[in-house]
Amino acid sequence: MSDDRTIVVERAEQLWEASTRRSFLKALGIGGAIVMMPGIFAACNDDDNGTGPGSSSPVTLDLSNDTGIVNYAYALEQLEAAFYTAVVGSAAFNTMNTEQKEVMTDLRNHEVAHRELLAAVLGSAKIPNLALDSATVATAIASTNSVLKNAEAFEDLGVSAYNGAGKYLQDVNNLLLAGKIVSVEARHAAAIRDLREGMGLSGTPPNTRFAGDDVVVGGLDVKLEPSDVLARVASTGFVQTPLAIGKSPTVTSPTPNQAPPTTP
Amino acid sequence: MKEQMTILGGIDPEISDRLVSRRDAIRQGATVSSRLAAGLALASVPVALAALSKDAFGQTPADVTDVINFALKLEIFENEFYKAVLGISSSSAQNNAFAAVRAQIPAAAVTAVQQIQKHEQQHVDFLTAAGAVNTLNLTAASFDFSGGRGTGTGPFARATTELAFLLATAQGAEDTGVRAYKGQAGRLINNKTVLEAALRIHSVEARHASKIRRLRRASGAPAVVKYSGTVSGGGSAAAGAGNITPAPPQAVVDAFNLIYAGEDNVTQAGKVVTSLPNLPSGFDAAAATEAFDEPLTKDQVVAIVQPFFIPSLS
Repeated sequence: MSDDRTIVVERAEQLWEASTRRSFLKALGIGGAIVMMPGIFAACNDDDNGTGPGSSSPVTLDLSNDTGIVNYAYALEQLEAAFYTAVVGSAAFNTMNTEQKEVMTDLRNHEVAHRELLAAVLGSAKIPNLALDSATVATAIASTNSVLKNAEAFEDLGVSAYNGAGKYLQDVNNLLLAGKIVSVEARHAAAIRDLREGMGLSGTPPNTRFAGDDVVVGGLDVKLEPSDVLARVASTGFVQTPLAIGKSPTVTSPTPNQAPPTTP
Repeated sequence: MKEQMTILGGIDPEISDRLVSRRDAIRQGATVSSRLAAGLALASVPVALAALSKDAFGQTPADVTDVINFALKLEIFENEFYKAVLGISSSSAQNNAFAAVRAQIPAAAVTAVQQIQKHEQQHVDFLTAAGAVNTLNLTAASFDFSGGRGTGTGPFARATTELAFLLATAQGAEDTGVRAYKGQAGRLINNKTVLEAALRIHSVEARHASKIRRLRRASGAPAVVKYSGTVSGGGSAAAGAGNITPAPPQAVVDAFNLIYAGEDNVTQAGKVVTSLPNLPSGFDAAAATEAFDEPLTKDQVVAIVQPFFIPSLS
């Protein structure tokens, strides 16, 4: 029971209520007490572990500084890590051959490592866990074919994102870290594309899909500006958490995009 | 794009002329650091000059020039290598050298190598259009792909007669390229246009490297050569040359040790990757090394590739 001097918070939702905030200030102003009942903490997202339920509140990225750009990368790595984690746990995974299983397991390992490393680098500045749409994920992992198709889209999108955002980083140490990651994403992309070619998707000419003319033009790989990457992410339907750019990069030198195919 | 690429053509050795206006500096892609801006605002050319030339990590226009000139050398090297392998080099001597192994390459691998060579030629063309200069006047004849500095009898000679040896050599070349670009990228931080282009070339080399690993693993290379195309572990072990029989000579092992030096790194941004939270069960040091590629310094790259260049790189 709350009165003017003692506020008792029994439910987590109370913390979001304006009336609660007013009463906090009032109670504190007159030397009162705020009592947090233990039960409210059970409702909290376990935001620290990267695997807890995602936040449904919109996430806004400030790309005018490196923290925002690294968070942008962290968002993408969250998505990839969650996808491959779901893949490795799926019924489709059990039907894959040895090579496919090795590739999927490796990609799961690497993307989780990317996610956790970026989370550690960001520390308290990291964005919350993104909530995924379970129906979209379930459809994506329903068969080996759909797994590989989605994997290709993710990897080429990751390469596009790092290649487009790298130039906005202001600290050379962050640029180096991004560089260490993007080449691994490109290795992944080549491997998935090659796997899919081996399963019957044609390369023109054969055995060129790993670095096909649809992604490498004039010798240069795909790149997308952050807004275009996030538009693609949104269109996949994977991410429930609205993800938006609050501030654009400070020094905008957008170069022409070179997009990977929308439907791999 | 081409218009943006002539930026370097416009940079004079006497950069003082270029510091007349703040707008010029921005158009050239330099970040306007506070010292530089102050120098320009005060119309104090010496101050601005000093600020530009003493940027942290040496990220000046001169650095950009040096980086793309160096990149051009490496791209010419790769391009001439693959042309010789394919028998389309302008040098009949180089084509003949690879005749024996060329006949062993399966058709599927030939098209993959053709795609790779196409890109290396495009890289040479792109860098040249961006203002890179072939300062050593490298031609097809400038290279000894046996790694013998011109003798033709270097430790990589078996790449001309044995497919497994050839593919391991190509893998080493591509991985060196990836690491070289990564090591130089920081010097481009003040030129967004060139930096982005370098990143986009760098990721293509990584695709190449991945495909060659997959080709090798499919034809008997050991399991350290991953189907994901990533580099597992470090030093010569990361080359995964165990399927080459007889075993490569010590000089080749030494070369692989240089090419993959430091790739066994498990610490990133001061964090031990294997100690991070929420890692899946089975995640080991090998996975940690695969997830991140490492840079090489320019000196390290020169040490690796010099035996293949007849003229001196230093």
